Amino acid sequence: MSQFLEQIINGLVLGGIYALIAVGYTMVYGIIQLINFAHGEIFMFGAYFAFLCVTTFGLSFWFALPLSMSLCALMGMLIDFVAYRPLRNAPRLSALITAIGMSLVLQNLARLIWGARWRKFPAEATPALLTGNAISLPGGAQVSFLDIFIILLAVGLMIGLNRLIYLTKIGKAMRACAQNRVAANLMGIDTNRVITVTFAIGSALGAVAGVMVGLREVTEPAMGYYKGVAAFAAAVLGGIGNITGAMFGGVILGVAEALGAGYISSEYRLAIAYIIMILVIIFRPSGLLGKSTTTRA
Amino acid sequence: MKNRARSTVLLVICVVTFVMIMGFSLAGCENRNEIKIAVAGPFTGSVAAFGEMIKRGAELKAKEINAAGGVNGKTLTLLFEDDTGKEKEAGLVAQRIAGNRQILAVVGHFNSACSLAGKPIYQRAGIVELSPGSTNIKVCEGSDWTFRNLYRDDFQGAFVAKYIKNVLGENQKVVIFFDNDDYGRGLKDGFTEVAEQLGLEIIATEAYDRDNTDFKAQLTSIKAKHPHLIFISGLYSQAGLIASQAREAGITAQLFGADGVDSPDFLEIAGDAAEGTYVSTPFVFELGGPEAQRMAMAFEEAYGIAPDTWAALTYDAVGMIVEAIEKGGENRKAIRDHLASINSPEKGYTGITGLTYFDENGDCAKPAYVKIVENGRFVPAAEQMLGME
Repeated sequence: MSQFLEQIINGLVLGGIYALIAVGYTMVYGIIQLINFAHGEIFMFGAYFAFLCVTTFGLSFWFALPLSMSLCALMGMLIDFVAYRPLRNAPRLSALITAIGMSLVLQNLARLIWGARWRKFPAEATPALLTGNAISLPGGAQVSFLDIFIILLAVGLMIGLNRLIYLTKIGKAMRACAQNRVAANLMGIDTNRVITVTFAIGSALGAVAGVMVGLREVTEPAMGYYKGVAAFAAAVLGGIGNITGAMFGGVILGVAEALGAGYISSEYRLAIAYIIMILVIIFRPSGLLGKSTTTRA
Repeated sequence: MKNRARSTVLLVICVVTFVMIMGFSLAGCENRNEIKIAVAGPFTGSVAAFGEMIKRGAELKAKEINAAGGVNGKTLTLLFEDDTGKEKEAGLVAQRIAGNRQILAVVGHFNSACSLAGKPIYQRAGIVELSPGSTNIKVCEGSDWTFRNLYRDDFQGAFVAKYIKNVLGENQKVVIFFDNDDYGRGLKDGFTEVAEQLGLEIIATEAYDRDNTDFKAQLTSIKAKHPHLIFISGLYSQAGLIASQAREAGITAQLFGADGVDSPDFLEIAGDAAEGTYVSTPFVFELGGPEAQRMAMAFEEAYGIAPDTWAALTYDAVGMIVEAIEKGGENRKAIRDHLASINSPEKGYTGITGLTYFDENGDCAKPAYVKIVENGRFVPAAEQMLGME
């Protein structure tokens, strides 16, 4: 029983991280129908920014996290401005290929700057709050403070994002753009600004996930690819374009991965998670919460 | 009109032929005072720390050879080819090397999966592949062109199993945690077979994927089984994370890694969690002869860090190829024939890592050692089991 609870928590941590990345994919897709493959790389840069802040510049972790978020937000906006905006009215395939190219460029840029070596977050730079020993839950399960922190942070940010989208003016503008970008523009919404803000928010959330993975696991140039693909799968599972769907997709995928590895076979850990995704897609082609719409001509 | 077109075509053909002949003869000129061999390994990617040591080990040997007058009076040039530790990339690299006639031999690849991917390509092209790091049983099988200068995983697996039984105690409950690739799987099989014969209790076998960095799910199920020892059949980067995540999860079992864990970067990634970990390895500098100590000093002087096992084995591999060129001849076939003729201890090549000679497969019998992490450093374990077959 305690093992089951521990596996669920492992899954929730993983799911929280996937969800944080997945909303970045899904928000951008919702508005400009672009799968931003470079998003995984923003996540990776987020981890590196925080790593550099605490090692090279000796900043405190609590300062490094928001700094990394802001830098990634800037980076997301810059990528949109440089790579995607000129192609806004080009065929979708051109933008998609540009996104793949951007992802490769950024990944190799990171390899060039920081090398291919794995970087472990220095133990002395990790805040004392998060290094505490495992705490015991009723039933004998043990959880680390860091894992609880990641789950709480992910939940908090998801609620925050939800409020932002449903209660603020910019959120309303984002929803309007997602429904119909041309009509939103005609109604006087500055769609380019909305897109920029979307990129900024998605990238900042990706950066949080990056910092958490750097803290819990490791920072390396290819991390964005592996976690990015899983998060993208989570976004598809939840219904791409749907933010709540991305959150649930992430959690489902994470928990499936942990339980699959724990109880079925560790050799097929990822396969099990993806089989669940494929099954969902077979029965609900537009994902769990995605709306089935006909493609606009 | 027709005539003019024909003469234009003729002219073009003449020019192209002329340029090609000039080009080849120029390349030939350049070739005359240069000997080229390729060094293929993971210079980037998740196991780049191996590649870094391989590169430096090879460079140091080449520098020493050139300082001593070169190969038959010609300059030895190394071409480094990056296979990123992935078999797909290794296949491409192998094709590129095989197609370049100026390259006389290959030192590499490092990862077993990469050596296996390159093997048929090198065999078809007829160029020697001498691996300083691949230990999978099948690496040298079925090709006359593939050799290696270290033990195989059936030997290493048996060695680790015997070491655990003889040194760490009889009634060990062991969990195997293996990297799901050629190296990790092969070594796991070699270990399991002998461990069961020796009566070690293997209570679980878990796998992980090379691309993954989160091992908590597997470690949670490992923890529930309360093992005495976890044998990590994989590479240093994942092993480092496994060590730190295992300690975080509250697992106190003894950790034992295979030679894939033998890299200074393991200590860096695992941090304090590395303490007390055993690793098996094909070479330990502290137990090597005076030549090994001299090489270690030269290496530290050149690069500012101590060499690791793989730098030493690559250093020797380059030495063997050069000897084969000098004694055999300056072509691909002569190098292979010379290496194949090194088939007894008397004819063996004595390098810093000991005596190397090949069996009919291209494999060689070399000893294994054990290191332990003490105060953040690898040191030779107090108990060694040399001379064990």
